[in-house]
Order: sequence, then C-alpha cells, then structure tokens
Amino acid sequence: MRKRDTIVAVVVGLSVVVLAGCSSSSTATSTTATAAGRQALVGTFRLTAGTSTASGATGTYFRMIQPNGTLASGPYFDNPDSTATDKSYTLQVPGTAGGLVTDRFQPNPSPAFDASGNALAGAIVAPTPFSAIAFGISTDATDPQTGKSVPAPSISFENGKITGQLESWTASWNKLYFNQGSPKPDGTSPGLTSPVPGTYDSATHAFVITWASEIVGGPFNGFTGYWHLQGTFAPGN
Amino acid sequence: MIKARPPMTSTTFVPESGAAARTGGLPVPVATVAAGRRRRWPMIVAAVLGAALVTMPLAFGMFSKTPKGAVMLSEFHPFMTTARLDGFQTDIRQIDAAVKENKTSITQQFASAGVTRADLDTRFPSLASLDAQWPTINSDMTDLLNKVQGNLGNYQAIDALPSFRLFPWFFAVPGVLILGSAVVALRRLRLWRPGRWAIAIVGIGLVIAPAAFQMFQRAPDGGRMMSSFKTIETTGSVVKIQDYFATMASGQGDLRLGVVPALEEGGLSGSQVAERFPAVTTLDRNWVRILNDLTPMIGAMSDNVPNYRAIASLPPFPLFPWFFVMPGLLAIGASLLARDRTEQSYNQQQGES
Repeated sequence: MRKRDTIVAVVVGLSVVVLAGCSSSSTATSTTATAAGRQALVGTFRLTAGTSTASGATGTYFRMIQPNGTLASGPYFDNPDSTATDKSYTLQVPGTAGGLVTDRFQPNPSPAFDASGNALAGAIVAPTPFSAIAFGISTDATDPQTGKSVPAPSISFENGKITGQLESWTASWNKLYFNQGSPKPDGTSPGLTSPVPGTYDSATHAFVITWASEIVGGPFNGFTGYWHLQGTFAPGN
Repeated sequence: MIKARPPMTSTTFVPESGAAARTGGLPVPVATVAAGRRRRWPMIVAAVLGAALVTMPLAFGMFSKTPKGAVMLSEFHPFMTTARLDGFQTDIRQIDAAVKENKTSITQQFASAGVTRADLDTRFPSLASLDAQWPTINSDMTDLLNKVQGNLGNYQAIDALPSFRLFPWFFAVPGVLILGSAVVALRRLRLWRPGRWAIAIVGIGLVIAPAAFQMFQRAPDGGRMMSSFKTIETTGSVVKIQDYFATMASGQGDLRLGVVPALEEGGLSGSQVAERFPAVTTLDRNWVRILNDLTPMIGAMSDNVPNYRAIASLPPFPLFPWFFVMPGLLAIGASLLARDRTEQSYNQQQGES
C-alpha cells in the first residue's frame, strides 16, 4: 500500500515538473519573439550641442523642475549661467567621448571635483556651469549617491521607438552627486520620474532621447531633472 | 510566563547552607528555608520588571528609531559649530547687503544713465524676483539660523550622550539580566542569593547611569532642541528653503552675470565697480564659497526630516533619565524585599543581643 502511494506521488510530482517546464519554455519563446523585433543600440549616442530657440532649446539640454512642479509648466530652476535665452534651459555640449556610450560605463574621474566643487566628469558632456559651479555627467557601476550597484546604460529600439534604462546616469555638482537615472537605482520611478522614451531613425541614425528623473535626497530633494539628448548614433564601441 | 514551583515536601538536610551555618552548624530543612523564609513575590516582580525593560524598546520602536537619531546627530555635526553657524549668518548678511546696494546705489547709477528701475526689473527678472522676496527670505533664513544657533548648546549636550544606537540596548540588556536572574532564582533556590545580588547590582547601575551620563541635564536640553526643530525639520520648511535657495542663486546670477557687466558696459572699470559697489563685489567673490557652505546644510536639513520624525515620535527626552531610575529603584526594592527571612531574623536577633 505504501509502495503504491510512493509511486503515485512520484508520478504526480514528475507530471507537475514536466508541466511547469512546458509552461516556462512557452514563456521563454514569447520573450524571445518579443526580443527579436527589438534591437539593442550598442555604441555611442553622439550628442548635438544644445542651442537656444524661440520656443526654448533644441539639441542636448537639461532643465530642473522645482518641487511640486510639472514637466509641462514647471516652475523651473533658472540657471543664471545658462547661455540660452530662456534660463530654465541649460544647454550642453558633447564631452570628450562625444556622448553617451551604451553597454559600458563612463565613470567619474578621480578626483571628481576641483577645490571649488566644479565637476570634472567630462566624457559624456562637457562640464556645464550651473549657478557658478560646473556640473558633470557620468555613468558609474556603483551609483555615487546611493552606493547601489547599477547596470550599464542600455538602449534599444523597435519601429523607430526607443526604450531603455539609464539607471547609472549621475549629475555631479558642488561636491555632491545626484542620481538622475531612470529608473532609479532601486528600480522605482518616484514623482515625475519617467521611462526613457525616444525616437530613432535607423536610416540616418538620428535619435532623440528624453526622460525625467526626480532627485531623491540631498539639497535638491524633490526637484526633477528633465534631460533631452539629441544627436546621431554611432554603432560599436 | 513564570510558573511557581510546587512547595517542597521532602525534608532534605543541607548542613552547608548559610542558614544552617548561622544556627551553629545544625542542619536546616531546605523546605523550611525555601517555602517558609523566602518571599517569592518580589522576585516575580523583578522578573516582570525585567520583561518590561526588554519589551519597552520594542514597544517604542527604539531599535528602528534611535539609529535614525544617531544619523541625524552625525549629519548635523559638521554644521553645529559656532564658526560654521556664524559663517551662515555672515553669508545671509552679505546677500542682504548686496540686495540693498542693488536697490539703492546701483539703481541710482543706472538712473543717472536714464535706465529706470522698471527697465532693470524687465532686463533682470531673477534679480527682481530676489528683490521682491528678499524681506521674507531674509527674515525666515535669519530666524532659522538664530534658532539653530540658539540650540547649539542643546545639540552639544545631546551629542555628548552615548550614541543613540545604544539606547535600546541600555534597556534591553539590564532587562535580560534582571529577568534572567529572577527566573534562575525562582527555579533554583540555591541561586536565590546570587540572583538577588545580580538584580540589586543591575538596579544600582540603572539608577547611576543617568547621573553618570549627566542625563538629567542633557536630556531636557535635547528635548528643547527637538521642540525648536519642530518647525524646521518639516518637508514644508525644507521645500521653502529650497525655493529661497533657487531664488537667491538665480538673483545672484543676474547680479554677477547681468548687472555688473552692464555697469562695466556703462563705462565703469572693474576696480570702479568694486570700489563703488563693495557689497555686490563681495557677494560675487564669495558666492561659490557660500554655495559650498549652504548647499550641504540644506541637504542635511532635507535628508533628516524622516530621521527627526522618527526621534520625535519617541517619548519626550526629559523622561528618559526616569526610564532608567524608576526600574532601577524597583529592582533594588525587589532585591531587598526578596531577602532571606532567616537572614533578617538572625540579623535582628544579633542586633537585639
């Protein structure tokens, strides 16, 4: 009697395992099918310098929305050092690497600041004055603000639409670090933090990537950075 | 849960017991000593007291809250010095002087060239905004800094206490010792006396600790600091300061990058600008240092709002010394009341003879 029970239990157990295996393999197949249409963009997103326009700015620029503001109407932090007509736009120029590199990091140098607190990270964009002190951008394996490990930037496209993650995107200013990634290093998207959408023309390699990321902690806690990257993608590292 | 032991029925003789020794070497039945000459209830009270001490930090959430207090004190530490706080006051006075100079002598300088105040406000909107908001900003920032500076002594007093992280253990460890000693004494009668002593010693430690750490002076000081910071360490207050910071930064930018170049375009040399408008020149020269100073302070204020809330939700600071003294006295009392009656009657007899 006991022996028969054991056999039944083994058969039932094996059936469950086999069924579970079938189920997971069908999931894997659908994921693969999804991934097949989406292509990773591995290389350098070469940035076009920001320029002031009648309606604001174009190219690569940054805006900072004050706490309780909105993406559409601010209020924005006016950067007195901005070269744009509208001081809420901080125009940026490409750094020494020409722009953002995916699948690997562009970390902060050491030291990351000069004695006055000007950021020295200049690979992605050139350090840009922000209220008398220059800020820089980097992507570090360990987020310098939270100390959490984050993945290297990854961006892909499908049907001309870009998606991706820029968890490691960090602004450095005045000897302080502000994670400006999306999602945040803990995987959340607090406040106005938005995904990383954009457009990509596979014929011309022209791209536009925009996202918003709320600052969590520090003197600008609750402010939101809005990033607008524009330029041409150069495949390969 | 302490289970009372059933009364002993056997009459085992233990000639080496203390009671026997004091009766001239005659053996004394354990049952007589245990059941008849020892009060169990003070030991039970001690056990309950120990359990309460262990439970208290858990009930108040001290294990999660006090480390936040330690973080808050540590993050405030770099700013809580007379020199640093005086420096913040100087920063605000420099901004005040520059704003006033802009409204008076600089406006007059432009007026002499036919540029009106309205023209300037249109040309330098961030500076106009700073001008308009400055009385409120100045008053609020000065009030905040005065409050913080007024609590420097209170902060130093509380910072001189042992780390906040240890506080739950200051209750839990004595609690475990008292509870353990009481339970052991109740279960093993031969350990009654060491148990009593252990409880008494822990009780004395609890009574002495607040005095040793000067908690009777420092805890009320900490309470005063917490009360003063009640209006500072709030999200609303921090957002207001951030807003002021943005206004000051943008306004100063207009002064540095707009007004001063405009004055120079109007025919003044750099040295003439410096000579005629010393407050604006000083502010421009010191602006980066002011940012280096103020920004981390705002960051510390902002980051510690949840830490402050956690600490503020604990019982009032001035009560803390009593949280040690009262259990300590109870433990000593329980230990005394749990004395062996044989000892007491013997001592009394010795006293009478």
